[in-house]
Amino acid sequence: MIEVAGLRKTYGDFAAVVDSDFSVEEGEVFGIVGPNGAGKTTTLKVLAGLVDPTEGDVEVAGYPSDDPEMRRRLGFLPEESPLYEEMTPLSYLRFFADLYDVPRDVADERIAAALDRLELDHRERRLGDMSKGMKRKVAIARSLVNDPDVLVYDEPASGLDPVTTNSVLEFTRELRAAGKTVVFSAHNLYHVESVCDRVVVMNEGRIVARGSVDGIRERHGETTYHVFTDVAPAATDRLTAAVGDTDAATEEVGDRFRTAVPDMDGVEAVRAAAAEAGGEVVDIRTREPSLEDVFLDIVGRPMPGRYTGGGGAVADGNAGDGDEGGDGGEGDGGDANRPAEPREGVE
Amino acid sequence: MIDRLGRVLRVARWEVARAGGGVDRRTLLAALALLLVAGAVLGGGLAVGAVGLDVDRDVYRVAVDGDSPYADAVDEAPALTPVPVGSATLGETADLVVLDVGRGESGAVETVAVRASDTRKGEAAAAEFREAVEAHNERLMADEENATAAFPVAVTLRYVGRTSALDDGSTLGEASDGSGGDDGSDGDDGSGGDDGSDGRGGSGDGSGSDGTDGDDDAGGGTGDAALDGGASGDGSGSDGTDGDDDAGGGTGDAALDGGASGDGFAVPSVGGGTFGADTAGSPGSISPPFPFVSLLLAFVFLVPMNFLIQAYGSSVLDERTNRRGEPLLVTPLSPVDIVAGKTLPYVAAALLVTTVIAVAVGGGALSVIAVLPVALTFLAATFVGAMFARSFKELTFVTVGVSVLLTTYAFVPAVFTNVTPVALVSPLTLVVFDLQGEAVSVGEALFSTGPMALGAALLFGLGLGVYREEDMFTQKPVTRKLLDALAVRLSAVDDAGLADLADRRRLRALGSVAFLTACAIPFVFVVELLAVATLFALPVTVSVPVLLVTIAFVEEVAKSVGLYAGFERGVFARTDRVAVAVGLASAVGFFLAEKATAVVQAVGLTELYVGRAAFGSVAGVDGLSPVAAAALLFAPLLLHGFATTVAAVGASRDRTAYALTLALATLLHAAYNFGVVSVHG
Repeated sequence: MIEVAGLRKTYGDFAAVVDSDFSVEEGEVFGIVGPNGAGKTTTLKVLAGLVDPTEGDVEVAGYPSDDPEMRRRLGFLPEESPLYEEMTPLSYLRFFADLYDVPRDVADERIAAALDRLELDHRERRLGDMSKGMKRKVAIARSLVNDPDVLVYDEPASGLDPVTTNSVLEFTRELRAAGKTVVFSAHNLYHVESVCDRVVVMNEGRIVARGSVDGIRERHGETTYHVFTDVAPAATDRLTAAVGDTDAATEEVGDRFRTAVPDMDGVEAVRAAAAEAGGEVVDIRTREPSLEDVFLDIVGRPMPGRYTGGGGAVADGNAGDGDEGGDGGEGDGGDANRPAEPREGVE
Repeated sequence: MIDRLGRVLRVARWEVARAGGGVDRRTLLAALALLLVAGAVLGGGLAVGAVGLDVDRDVYRVAVDGDSPYADAVDEAPALTPVPVGSATLGETADLVVLDVGRGESGAVETVAVRASDTRKGEAAAAEFREAVEAHNERLMADEENATAAFPVAVTLRYVGRTSALDDGSTLGEASDGSGGDDGSDGDDGSGGDDGSDGRGGSGDGSGSDGTDGDDDAGGGTGDAALDGGASGDGSGSDGTDGDDDAGGGTGDAALDGGASGDGFAVPSVGGGTFGADTAGSPGSISPPFPFVSLLLAFVFLVPMNFLIQAYGSSVLDERTNRRGEPLLVTPLSPVDIVAGKTLPYVAAALLVTTVIAVAVGGGALSVIAVLPVALTFLAATFVGAMFARSFKELTFVTVGVSVLLTTYAFVPAVFTNVTPVALVSPLTLVVFDLQGEAVSVGEALFSTGPMALGAALLFGLGLGVYREEDMFTQKPVTRKLLDALAVRLSAVDDAGLADLADRRRLRALGSVAFLTACAIPFVFVVELLAVATLFALPVTVSVPVLLVTIAFVEEVAKSVGLYAGFERGVFARTDRVAVAVGLASAVGFFLAEKATAVVQAVGLTELYVGRAAFGSVAGVDGLSPVAAAALLFAPLLLHGFATTVAAVGASRDRTAYALTLALATLLHAAYNFGVVSVHG
């Protein structure tokens, strides 16, 4: 449905996107991940025909990105959604439907369906009087008035409250189920993990990793074993020393101590050390790397201005189908917007 | 095409709805009230202009008989109150007495004596009386069907060398030196004593050259001014041949000869009156008849533009604020469709208001046709400004600037309607002609409206260049936006393979350079016309040098600013070879487009000295040998090629180098202009 080959976009001397190649299959939700300035938004704007590529070929739904016919088959949701505030949702959406030559009765049907699904009432209220979440829903509805085959969403849940965020993410999954192709970028990597079939990771204008979320995790992430012991507090140093890894540390979690080790040898070493200290291993859990962990591994730096790490990345176990996953990353990742625990070395 | 038009109309309809929705009822009422107040003020102004202020009504009492030829003049003057001569006592019940001192065989009054009280009020009454008589005469003349007879032009030819023309401070508009040089110089005839004045008949008609002496104070207290009623009633022929100077003889009474024709009668000489034309084609000769009311009415056409551009500019900038207009760019509409749709309601409003005003003030289709390009230019300039402005604060400066500049451009030249072809620079002159019921040729109409219409189209094109995501939502200084808008119209030129000029891509790229420069011609033309209109009234010693340097600078900027944009935005490779190539391409584009300005000949602008200075290269080559004519024809190409290349090389370096080379190119160009004017002008 989307083919991008040799895409390059420069602004003067600044290269926003460099040698980008990827393709998106029909009915797929495709994620683009990266820090600020990585080239995500520029890539999406090229796909939407908003920005002309400096070099390379971009084809969407069988049309070049600068073909007006392509735009008829595309719905675009920019990162910001300032609307014409003096209009009402209904008049605003009808206006855009008009621009796509959608007959009024069909338009009204689509608008009503979209607003119903997005649970937006107050359809005659001025947009200027609406909350950010409501406006975002109107903007999403706008992207659907022409019943597009391809949807390009730039940070669709940015700045929304958790309830609205979940609603938007769920809606995106429904679009996939309805056969739409969705290209999706997000700052919050959990959003990407939770809805995307495949992702590309961009950094400084280049694609630095690509594939399914699990595939990328496998290639770039490392499984960690969390060994829980009931040793006396004074013996925790012995546990850490037993692992022999400078990165390992023993932390108190409730009435137990958790030691993270990279492999089964480490598990055995902790078990032995615990026995020497008069305790024992009471639990062992496997922690799959989140996309943020992978991102850090690939990009070599954290997401600017955000907390990373912790177990927040695998909430509900949706993205973690590892052999021992499914417990929600130690149970603290249920909230889509909740920042994960601070972690050493992270801003 | 129909679908596209339909979408444009949808945008237009939406723009109307938005514009309406964005203004609450209270604001609308306030705006309406403001409009009414403005209309009332303007109407009052018009009324004042038409009938004169009456704040000094009935100030002076003038004793005059009912059958005196001056009775009507006194009656019509608000400041004068007629009182019967029989019961009047000078200095007590009358400030001025008009006595019949001689009657003809028919019994009609032929000679009168005017006596004023020996007080300051008496002097003022005399002055007011003279003005009243002048005004009365003007009205009579204005009512004449034969304007040529009513306002004959007396021309005294005096041939002088060019240098003397420079020295004596004559104006650039002076085609034949007029008759002003020595006119009225005999005003100091002194034969009448201290108050003597000479109302000499000049070349036979009293209205042409009388009363130019500034030193008289006819009837200034000490004596009587005897006024020769001149024309014997109304049958003295068409030109008042009784221009005899009966200078009154030094009796202390100044005999004033009106020499008026037809119904007119003598006007006391009051020193440099309105009719004291001193030169032809200068502000001093704008009367008769100064189209005051027509001008005011023409100005009314400009007033609504200021409201329109405020609303339009806000609407365009609103699209750019917070990326509000981004979703529109993703629709199947092209930027042209969007801008056309957004602009259409404002054009329609301008058309509607113009038509209403035209009907209200007695104008016709010509007025509407003339004002439409002005309205389009107002909107186009505002559009570009709104596309470049970073905030509503900047937009305010833009709209005020647009308003002032375009109003000046439209209004000032129109002041010289009926006086000089310079007036045709402004479409508003056509409106004045229309209101006066005068015919306008197609050539004149095109000359007046063409530059503005073309300029409006190009301004819209310039703004459309940045009506795209990459430029619309960025916050850059206006100058950088301008460079972006210019650069977007250029195709890349690199050094590799530049020698292969047959290469189509290369030719297309250089063609884009030539085309961009050619598009600057209407603006250059407009600026040069404005310069002519501004400077033509000044002595040539001042205006010609200023004009020639100004023109050189404007043209060099027009040729090179696009090149600078190309280098700055990386469209052109920064090498000397590329600089030379694009410099020459720009020069060719300018040269070819410049030839199109030959239209100035159609309206006789080159008959003016300053017109020849500004447009000398297209002013014809009559009388020159073929070789000289060819040299003159192609010399500008050489000049443009050389000067533009110099500036292009600087532009390829950096801003400082560009500024320096632009100055150098301007000097070269100005020197060339001086040479051409010396040889050809």
